[in-house]
Amino acid sequence: MIELTIDGKKIQARKGMTILDVARENNIYIPHLCWDRRLKPYGGCRLCLVEVEGQRKLMAACSTPADNGMVVHTDTPTLRKARKTVLELLLVHHPLDCPICDKAGECALQDLAYKYGPSEGRFYAERKHEPEATSALIDRNPNRCILCGRCVRVCWEHQGVGAINLIGRGFNTKISPAFEETLDCEFCGQCVDACPVGALGAKPYKYRARAWFLESHDSICPYCSVGCTLTLDLREGKILRVRGVDGKGVNQGDLCGKGRFGFDFIYGESRLKTPLVRKNGELKEVSWEEALYYVAERLKAVLKDYGPNSIGAIGSARASLEDNYMLQKFIREVIGTDNIDTSARLGYAWALKGMEETYGIKLNPIKLESPIGKEVVLVLESDLTSTHPIFGLKFLEAKNEGSHLMVVEPRRTKLARRSSEWLRIKPGTGTAYILGLINFAIKEGVHLKKEMEIEGLDELSNAVAEFTPEKVAELTGLDKERFIESARRFINAESRLIALTVGAAENQKGIETVKAAANLLMLLGEGPDALQVPADYSNTYGAWLMGLRPMNGGKDLYTMLYEPGALKALYVMGEDPLVTMPDAGRIEETFKRLELLIVQDIRLSETAKMADVVLPAASWAEKEGTFINAQGIPQPVPKVVSPTGDSIPDWQILRNIARVMEHDLGVIEFSALKEEIAKVAADSGQQRWRLVPVEYDLTEKPDNEYPIVMVTGNIMQHSGALSVMSKSLSHVLSDAFVQVSPEDAERFGVEDGGFIKIASRKGEVFIKARVSDEVPEGMLFVPVHFAHARVNMLTTASPEGRAHLTAVRIEPKG
Amino acid sequence: MEKVLLKNIDNPDSARIEAYEKSGGYSGLKKAFEMEPKAIIEEVKRSGLRGRGGAGFPTGMKWDFASRDPKFPKYLLCNADEGEPGTFKDRPLLEKRPHLLIEGMIISAYALKAEYGYIYLRGEYPHAKVVLEEAIKEAYERGYLGDNILGKGVKFHLSVHQGAGAYICGEETALIESIEGKRGQPRIKPPFPVNVGAWGMPTVVNNVETLSNIPYIIEIGGEAYSQIGNPECPGPKLFSISCCVEKPGVYELPMGTPLKEIIYEHAGGIKGGRQLKAVIPGGISTPVLTPDKIDCPMDFVNLPKVGSMLGSGAIMVFDDTVCMVKVCWRAIKFFEHESCGKCTPCREGTGWMRSILERIEGGFGREGDIELLQDVAMSIAGKTFCPLGDGAANVVLSFIRSFTEEFDYHIKNKKCITQ
Ligand SMILES: Cc1cc2nc3c(=O)[nH]c(=O)nc-3n(C[C@H](O)[C@H](O)[C@H](O)COP(=O)(O)O)c2cc1C
Ligand code: SF4
Ligand code: SF4
Ligand code: SF4
Ligand code: FES
Repeated sequence: MIELTIDGKKIQARKGMTILDVARENNIYIPHLCWDRRLKPYGGCRLCLVEVEGQRKLMAACSTPADNGMVVHTDTPTLRKARKTVLELLLVHHPLDCPICDKAGECALQDLAYKYGPSEGRFYAERKHEPEATSALIDRNPNRCILCGRCVRVCWEHQGVGAINLIGRGFNTKISPAFEETLDCEFCGQCVDACPVGALGAKPYKYRARAWFLESHDSICPYCSVGCTLTLDLREGKILRVRGVDGKGVNQGDLCGKGRFGFDFIYGESRLKTPLVRKNGELKEVSWEEALYYVAERLKAVLKDYGPNSIGAIGSARASLEDNYMLQKFIREVIGTDNIDTSARLGYAWALKGMEETYGIKLNPIKLESPIGKEVVLVLESDLTSTHPIFGLKFLEAKNEGSHLMVVEPRRTKLARRSSEWLRIKPGTGTAYILGLINFAIKEGVHLKKEMEIEGLDELSNAVAEFTPEKVAELTGLDKERFIESARRFINAESRLIALTVGAAENQKGIETVKAAANLLMLLGEGPDALQVPADYSNTYGAWLMGLRPMNGGKDLYTMLYEPGALKALYVMGEDPLVTMPDAGRIEETFKRLELLIVQDIRLSETAKMADVVLPAASWAEKEGTFINAQGIPQPVPKVVSPTGDSIPDWQILRNIARVMEHDLGVIEFSALKEEIAKVAADSGQQRWRLVPVEYDLTEKPDNEYPIVMVTGNIMQHSGALSVMSKSLSHVLSDAFVQVSPEDAERFGVEDGGFIKIASRKGEVFIKARVSDEVPEGMLFVPVHFAHARVNMLTTASPEGRAHLTAVRIEPKG
Repeated sequence: MEKVLLKNIDNPDSARIEAYEKSGGYSGLKKAFEMEPKAIIEEVKRSGLRGRGGAGFPTGMKWDFASRDPKFPKYLLCNADEGEPGTFKDRPLLEKRPHLLIEGMIISAYALKAEYGYIYLRGEYPHAKVVLEEAIKEAYERGYLGDNILGKGVKFHLSVHQGAGAYICGEETALIESIEGKRGQPRIKPPFPVNVGAWGMPTVVNNVETLSNIPYIIEIGGEAYSQIGNPECPGPKLFSISCCVEKPGVYELPMGTPLKEIIYEHAGGIKGGRQLKAVIPGGISTPVLTPDKIDCPMDFVNLPKVGSMLGSGAIMVFDDTVCMVKVCWRAIKFFEHESCGKCTPCREGTGWMRSILERIEGGFGREGDIELLQDVAMSIAGKTFCPLGDGAANVVLSFIRSFTEEFDYHIKNKKCITQ
């Protein structure tokens, strides 16, 4: 601890803090423009100058370390004059086009100029007249730029991208992508929030509203399970933009492109406005009354003819707790069956099962800060900055703060690019790599560091004995020495972490991967906190807690969707299995054999198009609800806009159907529903460590006929079925594509941008090729959420939650 | 005084290793290898050598800081950016005495336990590049560079990195950024390069002339060296003198030689026998002196007493036909062009000052312009990120202070006093 005096006040501070840090912590105001909490001090704007006794010069508070005994003055006539002239200098060439600048009213430059008094306008200079630079989502106005460099630094230091930089020098400096090309980046928009002035703007918001007319509400992002707080800015009942606010929410103000730009899915053209019922083979608009009676009658008929066990339901990982709770209540109480599940069955459920078999726990929420401060952080075949962007940032931050970031990954993902060590393995061999580490740890004798009852060491030793460094090298394609080096580093570290994702969109990891990782960690004395497997979507975790899964021997999602004939009627709420789940051909067959398919959704999804009845649900932001994020934190999602058309909240639809079926569920109001939910107890199990042998086998192996391995997944701008409804996100990327390595492109005659045929043992699809060295030879990567590409016609679902790579062949389209 | 730095300079082969060895070159290196690295640092401390790049920081102290830092590898960077207008003293060393520099660098690297060195060379010195690269090749061939220098198990590799023409890259932290392949902008200090320099590792940045003094210090010993010139900042010093003198050029003289002696004895006096009007003693960033101050000894200690600085020791002499407003304007134009753009006062202020000077010079000055200029200069001085902006403010403030009437005359009469 050190002690210094600021403005006459004695203040305790920690060593390593800057004067500005200390001042902020003690609510002492020092103006600043180039400083940003997340970034290294820059010292460019010179607005934060302070007087330090004994120093000849004024010191920049943001970049001067606080020192013991320092006497600092933050507000003196000298400083006021200095700040005023800095502002005057900044305004010398500024266009002063506040009347047409979207930032007016929330511009730091404007506010500071107001605070420090008007400039006398002693200088009549040419204003800058650079043309505005535009891109898919972000506009750049170089004339308003004050060259604080925050955008550049947030993009590089914090986001790990580096899409823009300062070019030119002195007065002619400007912000630009390389070679002044058009910006083509992640479009996270973090630079837009970082810009203190109106030089960077989100295009969808341009000229939409004056800041002072906006009404703001905080909400939770509907996309991934990180559960970021979004600040929604509305005008006349319409959401115009989304911002992150520094320090707010689990995300502390950071946002990804989906969260920032993806909100407009609620205004998507395909939104349902009325219920639809199939008549003479076509879906026809009907009244709610007609639809409800239709549903009730048909359900009753199926119940009567085939009994409750012939009916099942699929809930939604993106619908609220309340909606999901009501669905299971309806299915269990009104229908009387346990046939209920969600998309978690294809991923997260298996991760939890893996943890239960090993650590004995039934829930394992992640901790966003978990990578920070760990000596070694291992990311296993997971593109975290795409699937869980703000969690992903923590891995970059950990590395910036000194952790060794090991990325075991075939794709050149952002984390791979920014890693300390990138182990480029063959796709789907991450599990083999971990088994190799286990074997190595046992052989080296570095295991069981902590006193902890543990069973199964012998069985495990036997099971992994074949995973010698030679064997791992052969399986993964890594150099043997590199493998050994990485193994040593991981095993000998003081502290460590393994992070991976297991999701419905991904097909290269499964329950074995989770178990292997848990075994390794237990062996090294690490508890379940060292294994970070986030739930995938905004409420995957919540739906799980609400009992959206068979709990008494009911049929699970695999049975319901992939065993045609298992059900007679299926109720699908807020999910589009035909697009987001593997083996679409099989699902289609199942649907065709159903007597009744009820789809409740916010839009006419691919699945809805096959339904007998479609019920329009109010979407996120149109109704009140709760999401539980991957950390297990429940967060309220308020209603901020009115529902589209005649849509109403999912839970109300279900309540209404129950009423029509003359079954009183007892829940009339939202508050009553919430009270009921509050009573649901989460069973997180008891820790009891067990080492369990793990099998490793790539279910589909490439051969001569199908020589390439196809990996599926989510990407930065899109995930699941929501994002493709967003106009903004579709500006960045609207077309399905497959990444092909340059080597394979050459070998199979594929051209960048050309259409190719991908054929698997299941079928074939045509899709645009992107030749990219992000993927290695012998691997394709395909994002799965574009309905029109139907990539999931080629893939396979696994009843045991195993990794399920697809062997394919490619050829240019005719 | 016997020439140390410019020894043998008239020999057309002075850049070749044979000529260098013949005149005793690389003997300092052999002697140094018999010493402990720490002892070399002590010797340099004892010599009192102060950096010749401009700031005059004690070299031994800088080395001490770097060698105390436990991180490895360490780097040794030679600052050969020589961008300060009026400065061309490193050039003869680079072009004619490359082996002196290389020997100095090897000794320094040995003292610092640095295994890699770079010479950051001014982009506009293409000939020096050829000479240096040839010399480095020769040194490798003779075993003075490599993994096992002279069989003593010392490792040092050296290469040339050419700048792209930015004055700011002569500032040591911007130089480091540039060597790392980044945009040439200065970094925040602390941490200082001696602790966190190139690629985050302890790094010593020394000027060409500084490093070229090292072999001589080893040869004659720190004690003897400290007796040369002014004992408070001893040593031989290169002065580059230019503009209105009969014999412009680079002169090697003891530190502390009076400015008057340099102008009138060594450089042959004012051109055409005209009247002396002003001298900039240490490169364009140092405040201008009037003729009454030229008795001052040229060194780090005495120049500040008359309101200026030694800087790089680049003397620019102006006679009574030269317009001071124009000199000032031209100097500021340089700073405006070279401002890196990182900090507000320098980026915006230099352009503002240039444009006011331009109108005064062009006969369009307004009443109050002098005060305005001073005010803008004051809002730059002491408030910028790095000393470049300070330099610009110094020029304006010192020119106005010393030649107020000339500025006044320009504004009132719309023409120059010299016309
Ligand atoms: C704007 C600016 C330009 C500089 N240019 C040079 C240069 O061209 N050559 C040089 O040796 N030092 C230059 N310096 C000084 C260096 O920052 C540094 O102090 C010097 O290289 C240290 O070497 P020394 O201790 O041997 O003097 C410059 C400093 C500033 C602020
Ligand atoms: S949107 Fe994101 S990736 Fe693109 S330039 Fe801005 S910060 Fe960088
Ligand atoms: S665009 Fe904005 S954030 Fe970027 S340098 Fe300019 S003012 Fe700063
Ligand atoms: S004073 Fe500022 S703008 Fe000028 S060169 Fe230094 S850092 Fe760059
Ligand atoms: S905030 Fe300190 S210089 Fe910009």
